Amino acid sequence: MTRPGPIGVIATFDDPDAMVAALRAAREAGWRRLDAYAPFPVPEAAALLGVNGARVAWIALAAGLFGAVLAYGTQWWLSVQAYPINIGGRPLHALPAFLPATTIVGILWAAAGALLGMLALNRLPRLHHPVFAAPGFGRASEDRFFVCLFTGDPGLGAWEARHLLNRHQPLSVAELEA
Amino acid sequence: MSEFSTRPVSDTPLRSDFGWRFAFAVAGAGFLTLLLAYAVVALLLQGTVLWGTNIPFVWGFDLINYVWWIGIANAASLFAVVLVLRKHGLRTSVNRFAEAAALAAVAAAAIYPILHLGRPWLFYWTFPYPATFQVWPNFRSTLVWDFWGIMSHVVVTGLFWYTGLIPDLGTMRDRAAAKGRRGVARIYGVVALGWRGSVRHWARHQAAYRIVAAMVLPMLVSAQTIVALEFATTLVPEWHQARVPLHIVATGIPSGLGVVLALAALLRGGLGLGHYIDDEDMHLLGKLTAAAALACGYVYAEGLLVALLEDQVTRQAIAARAFGAYAGLYWGGAVLVVLVPQLLWLPALRLRAIWVVPIGIGAAAGVWLDRFSLVTGGLLRDHLPRVGPLYAPTVPEWTLLAGSVGLFALLMLAFARFVPVVSMYETRHEESEADVP
Repeated sequence: MTRPGPIGVIATFDDPDAMVAALRAAREAGWRRLDAYAPFPVPEAAALLGVNGARVAWIALAAGLFGAVLAYGTQWWLSVQAYPINIGGRPLHALPAFLPATTIVGILWAAAGALLGMLALNRLPRLHHPVFAAPGFGRASEDRFFVCLFTGDPGLGAWEARHLLNRHQPLSVAELEA
Repeated sequence: MSEFSTRPVSDTPLRSDFGWRFAFAVAGAGFLTLLLAYAVVALLLQGTVLWGTNIPFVWGFDLINYVWWIGIANAASLFAVVLVLRKHGLRTSVNRFAEAAALAAVAAAAIYPILHLGRPWLFYWTFPYPATFQVWPNFRSTLVWDFWGIMSHVVVTGLFWYTGLIPDLGTMRDRAAAKGRRGVARIYGVVALGWRGSVRHWARHQAAYRIVAAMVLPMLVSAQTIVALEFATTLVPEWHQARVPLHIVATGIPSGLGVVLALAALLRGGLGLGHYIDDEDMHLLGKLTAAAALACGYVYAEGLLVALLEDQVTRQAIAARAFGAYAGLYWGGAVLVVLVPQLLWLPALRLRAIWVVPIGIGAAAGVWLDRFSLVTGGLLRDHLPRVGPLYAPTVPEWTLLAGSVGLFALLMLAFARFVPVVSMYETRHEESEADVP
């Protein structure tokens, strides 16, 4: 029986600049399946990986508009179509009176959309992930920076990953098992 | 990076012993919260007859305390939002617990509108569904706005707090695991949703956090404004004015800032976090409170001066509020909200908890007096001559207020006990000047 090879190689750095440099070198070497882990946002690294927050904003906007339309539509349909009641002779379709609930519900949907959209795009919650097994990964949430190159693409194996990462003075390099 | 370690912050909730002062505080807050449960049960059994409210004083402590708590929540949220959106250095220290204070204040506020319904167990009738006889709520009523306003306020404030907390919960998980506390690590791990600090995740997280913060902003104006409009849409002369929403939103700010200021001073001393909530933070918070108080001075002056231009009925109503039976509340509020916080312009005072805590709590108390004056003083002169006694809160009402203060304190103590009180990733990020998307 043969042991399955490593699914990736992960390097530890003590400095975000070293992490970004390693990430840039990996991108230039053609690595497409890779990720970096940091204890605070590193926008430069996210840009190298082609990720920004724009999609979260679009999701929030769409959710907010949907919520607003839903709120206005509900009020209109119930007050005008489903159950029209004359209260003090006021118009059934009362735009000013419908607006507060419309805006507030729109805001509610947009805020929930931002959080849930962020989680969905990040594929969270996911309580376990192979990188958690990397030695010292607990400090990714404190003061260490990690670059992980996932093997599998032709010509980009564990040896190439080690070779590339070692050039950026990592504190340590380890292989990730599936 | 490690010269500015966040370990003292992350290790605080993992301490096994918080000392006798913390236990004493929890016992006190827990006792008051039990009083709240008692007051609520008594109210459910006997009804609002327990309260001092009567015609014309239809609203009493229920509305006073509700508006007061919402004001505190709003100002605390407003402060946190401004810090998050402006990426100010201060946000590393105070935005997290300002958010928590807002959440606790909203929780304390939300019990009042339900309790004052008279039949609180039917509160779900305000939900937009045909509760009785297939009748929907009247969507043209301010009460339906209130339902949406309060409900969304609670949810959005909670989302704001939680969104910012997720990465720090990940840190808590890792620290607990490093200390070998697997059970605790599991709990933090589940609520951190498996956060692993991927830079892709960070980019989306920062966008989401800012969007939620931006969504809180209109929520603040709308929540207080809706309450204010409930006053303004009545025909009571003192309430039926366009300036009521401005007055309530503006005076709410020093109360919340005062509470945040007092909490900051207490956390600095109590948890030894002087390094994270530093002198600069205290100076800025103190100056903001003083400036907000100055703005309230303008609002008060405007209220009195514009009254001179009003018709006779309104003029008399305002005069009755400012110089009538409840004049002490009006002027007491004005002094505590507008004048006393001006002391915070003195730099030496801003760093001393012995000054800052009473001034901050005093601003909150002053706004409470102002709400009292608005609700009861505003009803002194209605269109009909008043018969019957003045409104005075009864013991069950005081019990309810003490209970809601206890609930707020208990929630804040739980917050200090179980989650990091300072935004740790922002503290780490402080040195790096790169902008986030």
